[in-house]
Amino acid sequence: MGTMNLKMLLESKELERCPFPIPVGWFHVDFSDNLKVGEIRNVELFGQEWVLFRTESGKPGISDPYCPHLGAHMGHGGKVCGEHLRCPFHHWEYDTSGWCKSIPYAKVMPPIVKKQAILRTLPMVEKYGMLWAWYHPQCEPPSFELPYIPEIEDATGYAGTRRGSWTANTCIQEIAENGVDTAHLKFLHGAPGIPPVTATYEGPVMQLDIGQGYIVGTAYGPGLNVMRFNQHGITATMISYSVPVTADKTQMNMSFRHVDYAEGTPELHASKKVIDHMIGAAEGEESAGFESVDFVVWNHKKYRPNPLLCDGDGPVLQFRKWFKQFYPGHENSAKI
Amino acid sequence: MPKVHVKNRDGSERELDADSGCALMDALRDGNTGVEGTCGGMMSCGTCHVYVDADWMARLPARSDDEAEMLAAIGEIVEVRSTSRLSCQIPMSEELAGLRLEIGPPT
Repeated sequence: MGTMNLKMLLESKELERCPFPIPVGWFHVDFSDNLKVGEIRNVELFGQEWVLFRTESGKPGISDPYCPHLGAHMGHGGKVCGEHLRCPFHHWEYDTSGWCKSIPYAKVMPPIVKKQAILRTLPMVEKYGMLWAWYHPQCEPPSFELPYIPEIEDATGYAGTRRGSWTANTCIQEIAENGVDTAHLKFLHGAPGIPPVTATYEGPVMQLDIGQGYIVGTAYGPGLNVMRFNQHGITATMISYSVPVTADKTQMNMSFRHVDYAEGTPELHASKKVIDHMIGAAEGEESAGFESVDFVVWNHKKYRPNPLLCDGDGPVLQFRKWFKQFYPGHENSAKI
Repeated sequence: MPKVHVKNRDGSERELDADSGCALMDALRDGNTGVEGTCGGMMSCGTCHVYVDADWMARLPARSDDEAEMLAAIGEIVEVRSTSRLSCQIPMSEELAGLRLEIGPPT
């Protein structure tokens, strides 16, 4: 009898569910309509609390809660004053880039105040009717831009108000990995077969073609995925924008759009049917019904950095290699 | 313990004990010379400004960029000279026994 490979049998005890840091990227914070001028509130994202606010001119900002002066939490009693966030404790004021713009009682501003931002803020853009924040663990500026998505940016030509939001108790990489794990589509989802998949990678962008054009998806970093489903002669679009709440909790958000076909046409009927099928639930019951099969796996699995793959599995390892770029400083970690 | 020679803002002069290993600022603050040292050595307040006797300047560690920037900042409200230093940036040692300085004006 040969030597038993004990590592194979015992490794799972040492494994973690989500051994990843928060990845770099653009992430959905909220819908633009939900943040009024002068509003300020606390949000939990990227493993910590942040103060989200909108200035008098309408510019959104998101900052670390704790004032660089003496540490007051600016989301409890702080105010928007013109273009600034004002700390309640001593009325130090910061702009949306984190520069200190006023210390009302200091005769001399500390030199660092003139040299750099002293409050951590995240770069923000408003696009697709949403607020987006750029997260980078070392506060580096955005290294790519959010793409043009005609389905939600064009004033005419597209329709569809369906949206959904689901909480997954796992990290964003584990969720995204399902895109290249085509074998699970047959066995977990009950698809008739294992569709062929091709994945191409270029910088922060990954393009997936599942089933020879049946689903064509493009991921723009970890926080945005546009998937076009081509079926019954129409194209319906799922825009997926997940955001890490903590290292092991992800808020999955999606919008569903289709071409603005006239009422009563077979094309409109087909478009709605394809969208129903993406969600896997009847209209009005999206939260309960959506891909309950995936959540069962996500919410309980552990991550195997050295998985036992077989022929017929999808390009999981290539996907992981691509995703590592979003963990700067952790490229050589054995855990990921 | 090294002593330093201090000229006060009112023109009077005194000798002050300054512990080796501490910043000169600590001794001046604790000696009630009018030096406040509010920021504790972060070079962000400028309240420990002194004029060092010209003969002693070369024997002190050079100004860092941060110190120079803070001195430039207080230059908008008080006189800054080529002998100006932030006393928090001068670590005391036996070699500095006898250092002569003048307390800077209040900011």
